[in-house]
Amino acid sequence: MLLDATRRLFLKWFTAVGSLVSGALVGLPALRAFLSPAFRPPAAKRWIKIGEVDQIEQGVPTRFDFAETVSDAWVESRALRGVWIYTDDGKTFTVYNGQCTHLGCSYAFDKGDGRFHCPCHHGLFDLKTGAVLDGPPPRPLDRLETRIEKGILFAAYQTFRAGIPEQTPVA
Amino acid sequence: MSVFDWLDARVGLRALKRALLDREVPDRLTWWHTLGSATLTVFVVQVVTGIVLATFYSPSPDHAYSSIEYIQRQVTSGSLLRGIHHWAASAMVILVLAHMIRVFSMGAYKYPREVNWLLGVALFIVVLGFSFTGYLLPWDQKAYWATAVGTSIAGTTPVIGSAVVSILRGGGELGAATLSRFYAFHVLWLPGLLGLVLLLHLALVVKQGIAPRTQALEEGAPPRTDDPAYPGYYRDAYAATKRTGTRFYPDIIGKDAVVSTLVVVLIVLLALKRGAPLEPPADPTDTAYAPTPEWYFLPLYQLLKLVPGSFESLVAVGIPTVLFVVMIALPLFDRRSTRSLAHRPFALVSLTTILVGAGFLLGAAVKEAGPAIPPEVGRPLTSAERAGRALYHSQKCDDCHKIAGLGGKKGPDLTEEGLHHSPAWLHSYIEAPTRFRGDTIEMPTFGPPTLSHQEIEELAQYVSSLRGKAGPNVQPEYHDTFPPVPEVER
Repeated sequence: MLLDATRRLFLKWFTAVGSLVSGALVGLPALRAFLSPAFRPPAAKRWIKIGEVDQIEQGVPTRFDFAETVSDAWVESRALRGVWIYTDDGKTFTVYNGQCTHLGCSYAFDKGDGRFHCPCHHGLFDLKTGAVLDGPPPRPLDRLETRIEKGILFAAYQTFRAGIPEQTPVA
Repeated sequence: MSVFDWLDARVGLRALKRALLDREVPDRLTWWHTLGSATLTVFVVQVVTGIVLATFYSPSPDHAYSSIEYIQRQVTSGSLLRGIHHWAASAMVILVLAHMIRVFSMGAYKYPREVNWLLGVALFIVVLGFSFTGYLLPWDQKAYWATAVGTSIAGTTPVIGSAVVSILRGGGELGAATLSRFYAFHVLWLPGLLGLVLLLHLALVVKQGIAPRTQALEEGAPPRTDDPAYPGYYRDAYAATKRTGTRFYPDIIGKDAVVSTLVVVLIVLLALKRGAPLEPPADPTDTAYAPTPEWYFLPLYQLLKLVPGSFESLVAVGIPTVLFVVMIALPLFDRRSTRSLAHRPFALVSLTTILVGAGFLLGAAVKEAGPAIPPEVGRPLTSAERAGRALYHSQKCDDCHKIAGLGGKKGPDLTEEGLHHSPAWLHSYIEAPTRFRGDTIEMPTFGPPTLSHQEIEELAQYVSSLRGKAGPNVQPEYHDTFPPVPEVER
């Protein structure tokens, strides 16, 4: 009967260990795959050519729209993007992502009061610094990295998550 | 008060444990008795992997293939998961069949388990439904053509054929409606149906207990199960096997766990090592693709090749129908109380004949393995390449040349030919091999009048598309040398 007891103990152990092993072998890859979007590295910066430095108006912001090919998971499509460019002196340039930091609407420049105005929830931003002057936006406008090469202005386009105080690139 | 006690007071955990785990089971149960639970385990594996795959899959012809590629390449563990789902599907069919053979061989479909046998047959049909609908979802060549053929076969059913094929395809042609429909069946209808029938199947197993070894129900049994004395005899005999028997947990579950774990480990190993196949995207205009069905349909597929055309629908639809009718009729008409195969010569002979016949046909089908399937080029073939591929087969190039392991051995292997020679060189070579290698070469001359220049060009382009595993992104480096053009040929 001792043998029988050992056998039963072994079977009990094997039931537990076997279930765990099987569960892990299938469950872990399943969990990893399901959760993988949360761990994807952020999308790389994409340098876009904006235009000749001399042609950009000074003291008034310019809206620049461009289309790019984006792969949205398994669908490749063309997406329309926009940025706002501002320069005081034609030498240093500030480029803002064209989406409001509140919920991602496209904001416009109000010539009357010289501020950026988002029509969705009336966010107001400062022209020169991008700081929030009024309304619900949680952070200043998203500035993009710029560089000038042979008289041509480039900006590193990135999308950031809307609605949060931190500037976090979208994966 | 422990959590267990708290729950027990409300939902009756102890009673549940007594009924499910502590129940007594007959003595001397075999390892063959673990097949049912192994099937259940694999079903759970399919549910888990299937749900995750479904979250990344798009059931439309535009995106189905690219979403599968996305799963293979971009999703963490995606290719492993798809591999597991693929191999577990085969395991499921094997296990269901093995489980049915076990039940049949032990006469366990007889009194009182007739209804559970019928539920089992229903589950078998649902599993085949899963395999048929799941096959289409990757929307690759194999998926498309196997489903085209499969639905066409259903269409040869007398009287209702055309209605059946329209219902299966969601229209006259295989297309967007078919894919949506198959997807809905695969992830909504069939899982629900399987879950329901499975629940009944398992409930009956618990209620009736596990079928004991055959001898325990044969000694002193009335000769027929419809004998009024039989239920009483059965009750006593079954109770006797339980008295000398054991507990469901851990004795039976432990054995089940051993086999189930082995099966899962095997499936994961196969998934890691072999993955799941993915052919080029479905191409409805392809004229040369020879589809082969999933391996468990191969015996039937092979049988179709052996019968004259007019009997085709009789075999394709008739044989499965007859098999299912026999399976359904079996517990209702077979009322002899003998259980062991040794005492059921007709059952023994029938089972052996079916198994040997199916095995033989399967072997023959695997051996023939159809005409050479071109390797993945990673993109759809152009129309010229497709025409070339058709010529490749019609000119019997595969009698001498091998592509991806399929074809003859006489000539050089062409699997990576496109990496070594340009279409222009291939054109000249196919046109007149003797100009390159002298009169001793065995390669026939294909120049006019055998083939026109356009046909040779198509063939050359097809061969040029063969780049083995390297794929189309690799830029081949050609080192072609042309012989001087002899003036006489002008």
